[in-house]
Amino acid sequence: MTQRIRKREHDPQIVKRIQTVIWVAFGLFALLMVRVYWLQVVQYERFRTLSENNRLRIRTIRAPRGQILDRKGRPIAETQASFDLICSPIDVADLEGELKLLAEIVDFDTDEIPGKIRDAKKKNPYSSITVARDLRFEQVSVIEFNREALRGFSVLVEAKRSYPYGRAFAHVLGYVGEVSQAELDASEDELLGMGDVVGKYGLEREEDDVLRGINGGRHVEVDAAGRDKRLVEEVPPRAGGIVTTTLDADIQKTAEEAMEGKAGAVIAMVPKTGDILAFVSAPTFDPSAFSRGIRKAEWQELSNDPRKPMQNKGLQGTYAPGSTVKPFVALAALEEGLQDPKATVRCPGHLWIGNRAFRCWREKGHGSVDMYKGIVQSCDVYFYTMGMRLGPDRIAKLERDAGLGTLTEIELPGERKGLVPDSEWKRKVSKERWYDSERAILGIGQGAIHVTPLEMLAGYASIATGGEVMRPRLVDRIAPREAPVEQRAPKMLRKLPWKPENVAFVRRALGGVVNDHGTGGAAKLQGIEVGGKTGTAQVAAVKGKMIKSENLPYNLRDHAWFVGFAPVSDPEICVVAMLEHGGHGGSAAAPVVKAVMQEYFRTKQPAEAAAKEKEKEKR
Amino acid sequence: MIRKGKLARLDWPIFLLALALCGVGLLNVYSGTRVFGGTGFPLFAKQFVWIFLGILAFFACYLTGDGLIEEVVRPVFWGILAILVIVLVAGKVRGGAQRWISLGAFNFQPSEFAKVAIVLALSKYFADKYSYSGIGFVDTLPAIGLVIVPFLLVALQPDLGTAGVFVIILLGMLVIACVRTKVLLWLGGTGALLIPALWLAMKDYQKQRVLTFLDPERDPLGAGYHVIQSKIAVGSGGFIGKGYLRGTQGSLRFLPEQHTDFAFAVFAEEWGFAGTLVLLALFLLLVQRAFHLASRSQDRFASFACGGLAVYFLAHIAINLAMVCGLFPVVGIPLPFVSYGGSSMLTNMMALGIMTNLARSRFTFQGGGESSISS
Repeated sequence: MTQRIRKREHDPQIVKRIQTVIWVAFGLFALLMVRVYWLQVVQYERFRTLSENNRLRIRTIRAPRGQILDRKGRPIAETQASFDLICSPIDVADLEGELKLLAEIVDFDTDEIPGKIRDAKKKNPYSSITVARDLRFEQVSVIEFNREALRGFSVLVEAKRSYPYGRAFAHVLGYVGEVSQAELDASEDELLGMGDVVGKYGLEREEDDVLRGINGGRHVEVDAAGRDKRLVEEVPPRAGGIVTTTLDADIQKTAEEAMEGKAGAVIAMVPKTGDILAFVSAPTFDPSAFSRGIRKAEWQELSNDPRKPMQNKGLQGTYAPGSTVKPFVALAALEEGLQDPKATVRCPGHLWIGNRAFRCWREKGHGSVDMYKGIVQSCDVYFYTMGMRLGPDRIAKLERDAGLGTLTEIELPGERKGLVPDSEWKRKVSKERWYDSERAILGIGQGAIHVTPLEMLAGYASIATGGEVMRPRLVDRIAPREAPVEQRAPKMLRKLPWKPENVAFVRRALGGVVNDHGTGGAAKLQGIEVGGKTGTAQVAAVKGKMIKSENLPYNLRDHAWFVGFAPVSDPEICVVAMLEHGGHGGSAAAPVVKAVMQEYFRTKQPAEAAAKEKEKEKR
Repeated sequence: MIRKGKLARLDWPIFLLALALCGVGLLNVYSGTRVFGGTGFPLFAKQFVWIFLGILAFFACYLTGDGLIEEVVRPVFWGILAILVIVLVAGKVRGGAQRWISLGAFNFQPSEFAKVAIVLALSKYFADKYSYSGIGFVDTLPAIGLVIVPFLLVALQPDLGTAGVFVIILLGMLVIACVRTKVLLWLGGTGALLIPALWLAMKDYQKQRVLTFLDPERDPLGAGYHVIQSKIAVGSGGFIGKGYLRGTQGSLRFLPEQHTDFAFAVFAEEWGFAGTLVLLALFLLLVQRAFHLASRSQDRFASFACGGLAVYFLAHIAINLAMVCGLFPVVGIPLPFVSYGGSSMLTNMMALGIMTNLARSRFTFQGGGESSISS
């Protein structure tokens, strides 16, 4: 019989049962106390040794960095094994002595390393510090032989970044190096730790998240000499993801070779998609010097070089564009309906503005010049006239639309913006209005205007596409670790409302520059119609007589430009070359562009070409 | 509206004990997480917020009207069951287990609160079925049924730690609710026979944990790592500890989960055996006080609920400490009030609020002194 009554009183039966459970609780607590006593009091010595003599070491297993591939899947940055000398600060018994011995075996940075180790000994004794990379086999054996004397040092096989094409891709791929304290502090990535290698520049930096793997680690118990005794745990590293670029190694190499011994930039792009095929800045540097760990002296040499090898001139250098702006000025005149292309201007070799004569580059003059001839012959007098007729604002609007003086949004760190002057800018910098002379020289790309080679390329690409301004694309797709492949689509930044007939006219004239006895004959290709424009940008105004550029000292020589695309009818490649102090655009820069285009068409359809060859043989 | 005298009738000792433990936890979270560096809101500040919200939750539960808790037991229990089903189906996968429900910025672990809901459901059931001659076998079965459904739901997540706590709560409640001793022995025997079946149902990594626990020297890579490291942390604390913020195991990130499940390892390393004794004393007093409230309660539902919640606290404390000391396999059981974490803090505070609410004397003429265990 169960009684279902709620009684409001202490039920002795329940109280008794609760007592039982309380005794269980006491028992459990007693057990825990004994256990803790055992661990903390009885076994104290053993655990203290384990914790303080830190018989457990974490050995980082660096994750290999992911590959960077060119558009045809060829590796342009990869990871190789190298023997590295590392130091566990906690195991160093006699730092001075050990370093002295080491210095006889290995060549390492004696300015930096000792301080680094001392620092780590205080702050992070369990970390490991890379002392030298890429040891030769005999060095490894000598170090192993002297193991007892070199307690704090050991040799580790490490993954090293290597660049199969050496210097060719230096500026666009950038380089990697050990993460700095400042980068560590700024990073949100919990997994980033001291000694990790991160991208420092170029694509390596831009896509660092994709490329960097996740380090694994070994937990090992070591003996008093620091030798690994027993593996406690191993977590394998996870390799970084793969980045496939739009670059083409053949074209890049050709561009780099064409710039051998010169200073400046060459960039090649597919105008319809914005795909960057080649991106060279010269002089270049050796990116593997950084993965090796660059020395102060090497670094100083690079940063003190007057030709600035560490600067990416393609997107960080700004230069007066010279005659390369003429097609934009012409297009502005057409778009504004201010100039009939058939109307002519007479060029006697100079133009009087006020009481000053402004010269045309051809002292004899061009005679009567219409727009086509003006572009083809690059007649300065014609474009002085256009400059005055249009005024700075109309020119600036079109040039900016096309991409000059505007960031191209390329996926590379450190892009700088050029300057396209207009009234607003003029108001900011001076109280004065535009003088006629200033208006005139804007027509020939002199004066305050200066642009980066990349902007110039973007501008010509928008003429090539008839006003579709594409964002330059460097990364085609990424395959991050443990995530699906992500395709990066081309991105149109804006569509300009240019009249097709106007763009077509300018394109035809640019074709004439190369093929119709114009200034760009040096860019002519067999069987493909190339269009483009030369430019020679004055660096120094030389008083008096015209002096040939090559007779001037190097740093006063003009910058040479050539920008072009091919084929004119339906452009599929657009190339800019800018040579610092290179002299004349037609003779210095045009051959570089020609070489790049030639390589593009040579490698474009090797299969097609091979098939044709076979046909011939059969016949 | 607070009815006059409600606050006066709060069992302050147990509340203050919980606050003291929260304080210890806060100091410990600071020490255990300062090495994480990083930016954003530091964990110990978050923990501070959790404690604050926990206190609010405590008073919300404590100030609920007399008898109201007993009335909502049923809907709450079935509601929790429904949520557990949802979690199993749609929960976020976290660390290989589906335990979380995402409420915007806050991820809630409903299985935490399910423990409290089970205690209340069992209390209600046993209070209705209570008999002076002890509860028989037939009346015991539905109680087991009440636990089996949530047990399976949580075990499937899989969260064996929580599922285990469900079982311990059931056992404790069976004892407190005066199920006949004979029935208890029967159940014990059957349970022993079920162990092999349970073994077969376990996932590989869970088996691994148990095996490692039974024989740490097997040491397949990593499985024994947690235990080794936390034993080193505890043991190297010695008698007086390395001093606050001086622990090396934690600061070197040797310790896994050093601010959540392994919080005690950080504490023991820094405060040593002396500190551990103080902490154990606080926990023992808390549990003992909870049982005291259970035996002092005026009606059976309150007695069983307080007793069950006391068992709930005891289970968490004992399992967590045993796990950190290497006496028990590693399961995801946080240390009440001390481990970092929102779900467990809120649940523990609510449990405490419910307990003190139920233990609140319903009569103003309540006399007699407060004694500890009346023997």
